[in-house]
Amino acid sequence: MRLEKCWFCSSTVYPGHGIQYVRNDAKIFRFCRSKCHKNFKMKRNPRKVKWTKAYRRLHGKDMTQDATFEFERKRNRPERYDRNVTENTLKAIKKIDKVRVDREARHHANRMKGKKVQLRREAAKELEQSIHMVKAPVVLLQDPSLTLPKIKVQVSQQQTEDNRMEE
Amino acid sequence: MAASNSSRLFKAGRSILGGLSNNSVGASRPSYDMTCMDFVSQQQRAFIQMRTNLKVVDNSGAKRVMCIQALKGRKGARLGDTIIASVKEANMGGKVKKGEVHYAVVVRAAMQRARCDGSEVQFDDNAVVLINKQGEPIGTRVFGPVPHELRRKKHIKILSLAEHMA
Repeated sequence: MRLEKCWFCSSTVYPGHGIQYVRNDAKIFRFCRSKCHKNFKMKRNPRKVKWTKAYRRLHGKDMTQDATFEFERKRNRPERYDRNVTENTLKAIKKIDKVRVDREARHHANRMKGKKVQLRREAAKELEQSIHMVKAPVVLLQDPSLTLPKIKVQVSQQQTEDNRMEE
Repeated sequence: MAASNSSRLFKAGRSILGGLSNNSVGASRPSYDMTCMDFVSQQQRAFIQMRTNLKVVDNSGAKRVMCIQALKGRKGARLGDTIIASVKEANMGGKVKKGEVHYAVVVRAAMQRARCDGSEVQFDDNAVVLINKQGEPIGTRVFGPVPHELRRKKHIKILSLAEHMA
């Protein structure tokens, strides 16, 4: 029994699932489900299809190089059955999975690092630029209670000076 | 290119067959969506039945062969089954001549066949190897990949001659 990788989406194909297509040059393409098979028949390039692992690795969305990937390399030499080895391997698989998932989460967090600040900045800009869509500027001037709400921005000398200049 | 041309021929042949014989051997064909044929470059999957053209992948001399009877199987032959075929096209000076009738075993089928572990295999085209009544191949070489299913059907000689085993 061997767990293969789907040629299109790179997910694991468990026994009993999927189709393998053998081309006349003896290259075997394994697919995990008919979605991948149909995309292959449409001649789509997995590197351009957003939901595949190939695309995600190519565009830096997922980890590409890591020591945990070495454990999943294909080995063609069969191992003699040894109960202790099997037990240790099963325990190791669990641990390696945990480590890999943690590293992937960290990679994702790294990728999304500046997002919060960027969103804040964009919101502040939109607020001052497009407030006229919400309330007419004449009304804002007339009624002093309808001033713009105080926005908490990252405190830096430059910015506070700008605010003072605006008012 | 050749594959798409041959697949177009097969599709035409199948539609003619459908018009001629409604209650023939291959009456109930698996229905596949005809609308997706425009961009599906692979062949439509169907059983190998009477009048199916097949490629010959050994060096017996024949090039194309037409199935005249699928032994075993009400709807037609699949991967690993034997058929009776008539040689339609042959090389000059080969062991077989055009018009001869031989037994043949299907080594590649575009229709998927289930494997014992639950997965399915399918090949790119329909191909046969000519054999004699006893099951021994007439040619001495086999080209292209062959499936494991031949082992169960006791075609060990063909497996040993093959260059790739799928």
